[in-house]
Amino acid sequence: MGLIEFAAAKALASSAVFLFITLLMMAAAKRISTCIILFSTQSAIMAAEILALAYAGKSAEAYAVAALVIVVKVVAIPYALFRIVKDLKASQDVASSTTGAQSVFIMAGLILLSFHVVVPYAKTLRLDEDLLAAAVALLLAGAFLMVSRKKALMQVIGLLVLENGIFLAALTTTYGMPLVIEIGIFFDLLMGVFLMGLFVFRIRDTFEHLDVSKLRRLRG
Amino acid sequence: MNLALDVIQALLLVAIAPLVRGVVARVKARIQNRRGASVWRPYADLLKLFRKQDLVPETASGLFRLAPVILFAVTVTAAAFIPVLHPSALFGAGGDFILLVYLLAIGRFFLMLGAMDGGSSFGGMGASREALVSALAEAPLLLALVSVAILAHTVTMSGIVLSTVRQNPLHLSAVYGFALGAMILVAIAETGRIPVDNPATHLELTMIHEAMVLEYSGPSLALIEWANAVKLALIMAMLVGVFAPWGMATSTSIAALVLAPLAFVFKLAVLAVAIAVIESSMAKLRMYLVPDFLGMASALAILAVAFTALMR
Amino acid sequence: MVQLAFNSFLTVLLLLPAAILLCRRSSRTRALPSLLFLLALLVGTFVAGMSFWRGDRLALDLSWLTLFPFAFAVDRLSAFFLLIICAVGAPVALFSIPYVERHYSGTKADWMWALLSLFLLSMSLVVTASTAFAFLFGWELMTLFSAGLIVIDGDSERRRHNIFIYLVMMHAGAAAVFASFLLFLPHAPGLDFVSIRAAAATMPAGLRTAVFLLFFVGFGTKAGIVPFHLWLPKAHPIAPSPVSALMSAVMLKTAIYGFVRFAFDFFGGGPAWWGYLIMLAGAVTGVLGILYALTEHDLKRLLAYSSVENIGIIYLGLGAALVFMANNSPAWAMVALVAALLHALNHSLFKSLLFLGAGAVSDATHTLDIELLGGLLKRMRVTGTVFLIGCCSIIGLPLFNGFVGEWLMFRSFIAGSELPGIASAAILPLMAGVLALIGAIAAACFAKLYGVAFLGRPRSIAAEHATEVATAMQAAMAVLAAACVTIGLMPGIVLSPLTAMAQELLHSSGLPEAEIPIAHTLPFIAACIAVLVIAVTGFRRIKRITPTWACGLPTLSSRMQYSSAAFSKPLRKVFARAYKPDRTVEVLYANEPYFPQSIVYRSVRTTSFEKSLYRPAVDAIVGMAARLRRLQTGNVQVYLLYIFLALIALLVFMRFV
Repeated sequence: MGLIEFAAAKALASSAVFLFITLLMMAAAKRISTCIILFSTQSAIMAAEILALAYAGKSAEAYAVAALVIVVKVVAIPYALFRIVKDLKASQDVASSTTGAQSVFIMAGLILLSFHVVVPYAKTLRLDEDLLAAAVALLLAGAFLMVSRKKALMQVIGLLVLENGIFLAALTTTYGMPLVIEIGIFFDLLMGVFLMGLFVFRIRDTFEHLDVSKLRRLRG
Repeated sequence: MNLALDVIQALLLVAIAPLVRGVVARVKARIQNRRGASVWRPYADLLKLFRKQDLVPETASGLFRLAPVILFAVTVTAAAFIPVLHPSALFGAGGDFILLVYLLAIGRFFLMLGAMDGGSSFGGMGASREALVSALAEAPLLLALVSVAILAHTVTMSGIVLSTVRQNPLHLSAVYGFALGAMILVAIAETGRIPVDNPATHLELTMIHEAMVLEYSGPSLALIEWANAVKLALIMAMLVGVFAPWGMATSTSIAALVLAPLAFVFKLAVLAVAIAVIESSMAKLRMYLVPDFLGMASALAILAVAFTALMR
Repeated sequence: MVQLAFNSFLTVLLLLPAAILLCRRSSRTRALPSLLFLLALLVGTFVAGMSFWRGDRLALDLSWLTLFPFAFAVDRLSAFFLLIICAVGAPVALFSIPYVERHYSGTKADWMWALLSLFLLSMSLVVTASTAFAFLFGWELMTLFSAGLIVIDGDSERRRHNIFIYLVMMHAGAAAVFASFLLFLPHAPGLDFVSIRAAAATMPAGLRTAVFLLFFVGFGTKAGIVPFHLWLPKAHPIAPSPVSALMSAVMLKTAIYGFVRFAFDFFGGGPAWWGYLIMLAGAVTGVLGILYALTEHDLKRLLAYSSVENIGIIYLGLGAALVFMANNSPAWAMVALVAALLHALNHSLFKSLLFLGAGAVSDATHTLDIELLGGLLKRMRVTGTVFLIGCCSIIGLPLFNGFVGEWLMFRSFIAGSELPGIASAAILPLMAGVLALIGAIAAACFAKLYGVAFLGRPRSIAAEHATEVATAMQAAMAVLAAACVTIGLMPGIVLSPLTAMAQELLHSSGLPEAEIPIAHTLPFIAACIAVLVIAVTGFRRIKRITPTWACGLPTLSSRMQYSSAAFSKPLRKVFARAYKPDRTVEVLYANEPYFPQSIVYRSVRTTSFEKSLYRPAVDAIVGMAARLRRLQTGNVQVYLLYIFLALIALLVFMRFV
């Protein structure tokens, strides 16, 4: 029992740091499959955190949510994305508009900004400032990925990271939303990814590429 | 007792440095499905080189033969800074990481000058590329060590290691994570490993360190190769000492003294395997992508320093 | 006795031109003035040394000579800078004896010695002045005499342009300093330093800010802070070598003296934003200075830009000291101030050494373009060795003096992490990263300089036939090199009096020795390295001379070596945004479009400040002046109209007041 308690305490204490590390690695990543694996790791870290909370709060609902996260975000969605990448036979290059070092610098800046924003609130609301800052950082990072990466698949991954951030924020502030809402959100997410998968093939077949910056040619 | 341990650990670093290179090369060979040379090969190489003549280009001045000597002397002195077996070192208490980094800079500066003294294009090319890498690698290295020193409230190497040893290994601050990331990237650049430089290449397009030592032969080359190996061992020992020093002898009991070298050898072996795996799984970066690589190290180091202020 | 020595030092320097006039007739006494000059500087070193180490205070009041208070006083701070002036001036004077003999004859040589003596006198006046009048008197004379020394070397069109820019910028800076003194006027009528100090204590905050900004700009112009550094690379390279050495090594330090006197002595520190502004200025100056130096291939321009970089480093230390003072930790402020001042001393030693070395190189090869040099170490052993010592010192390698100042600065930046407030606790350690970056790029720059100029194959006939210079010149450089190494190995000799001076200035107590162990560790490190070097060279290693590996080609020519532009190209590409050269390619075609007759590639680097800051500013002022010129119509009745309008405006104003 001591070991599990210890693991739970450890998971809660340092998950924020591991989330930041995954964000920095995602900024530096050059291939789409690396980003997918990093997203899966992020979700796994969050699942570990939910498990720790579930163990501490002894709530069955929380166990169910953790199981949902693992099934949907750690396994299903990454698998679906891998299948899409393989079937597309497109290049794995991330097509970023900023160089690796610039992305990491911007990501570091976003992390510091999220801390700067969170610190005054965390003190008054007596929340874990690390996790809340991690949530805001995930949100900003997701938005940054969507803005700076030109491949359509990276837009999806950016959206997923953003959703991760919102989920973590909900987790930190209210210890989770009601189970029904959680299940609804996950279904939406899953459907969204499948629809995106379909659309990506349509886009590729119509335009011969997946570069969103070339959508500008649709202007009149 | 302490003084004896200090001297022994410095000599240990210098003595096993070629073995570390041999192990890395052997593991790399195995990963690449080759048999690879024996792990003791670098010692045989050094012995062979020491017995040969020193070939000196006719345009070279006295600096050409002086540079390897200075490089070797400075690197061995730097090796006496790092706590290996116990959290103190020969120069560990008075010497700090700033002095350590700049001592290594002396060696590098004289090696660059020696390279240019040969009067060939290779020397200048190697020196110019080395200047690029070192100019961009020094700032993240010092910033990462500064962040760790701020947490330890001291600048001496032994003080930093002591402060890490005293902490609970599973409750390390985020600063250590970022500093470790920055230092791994910088260590790859400073020791000239893939993806920054290929230590086993002889194509001028891909050489950085090899180009600088192209004109050297005989005992001078042996001194340079040994100094390079000591630098690799030194940086690995520094990574181990600053970020994972548990296992060092904090008391003078027999059990601690027996455990310390075993723990150190184990950690070095893990690092050597990690280096070999990284070298075999990545391609060498194009030279103008190296600043990008080091820029990532700088970002991580800046983040580490910013977090020391945030986490207070 | 020290007072007598001080008075005689000043008198000899003042009367040297008269001595030159007397001695020029007979050929036996021709050499006398220069020896007298050297002797006076040695006396000055003695005076400054006594006052600095023992803390003697000297005073000299010459107010009976002029209408305004004109007095001098030497306290520890002044003594330190006087020591810099004389301790660097003496070797430079020794260097000048064969230099002037070789390059100038007759009247020009006499003028040279006269102006040198008066130049050093004016600098001594500045650092020992104890009234504003004496300070400004010396300040303006410094500029005039140094401009005179530059003019002696020739006045072509380009030189006159550079001298003009130099005089204008120096005068603007002097005006700012003048204004900052004048702002003390209501409270301190005599404008002597004692009353200024008292007045500064009771000044309102707005006036303080105004004074601060004025003296920041004024002394910054003289010191060479970006963006006021424009005159430095224009004026220093065209001066004769001993004069460049004095200007770069000593004259810039008088600006540092002025700044320290104002910020620490008069005001005793200020609000924290002063410190952050100074640190920002220092960081930008340091980085840009060394980046510009990296791409230079004119030896003196490279050294001039490197001076800009070192001034930036000094300002980093001064800014840190101000931040610590504002946060009530005078002990660490003392460390930062000592670091900055020690770096000032070190810089004057190794920069003068490098400039004198450049003079020796120019004498031996008649060129300062390092792309035409090479292999000088084999041909000029002494010059090459001392130049190497200078390069090691300027990079900040341990066992040489540059390292100690930088180490103390690093230590104080790390201590900045204990300041209150998240931003302040992060900024100072990040400045340590900036300092590390500056030092690393400086290492690349000087490796390039030494490697291209002194090592390898000679790239021109002149370099191939270079021979060693006169013994006096070698001796002068060797003295400076020995000083660099001594301070590098045993920094305690300078650190203890500097610490005492800083403690006095900042009213702080010292730090425990355990925090600053550097002075004790360095001799051990040196001993260890020396033992290892001796042990390794003790083994017999047979040497065989062979040709350089040429990939199987018969011979290597000197053009196959890396040139200076090639060496710095990778770093130039990385920092491309700082450079932005104007590149033009002219292709001349003969009859066919595919076979050009000639291609000319021209890359001119005007520093971005000239393009983006100065030119628009000058254009704006000239444009405004042109528009104002329309008021001058030349018509008498319009002028009468102006008077009439002024009268009406006055009446209206009187009605409504």
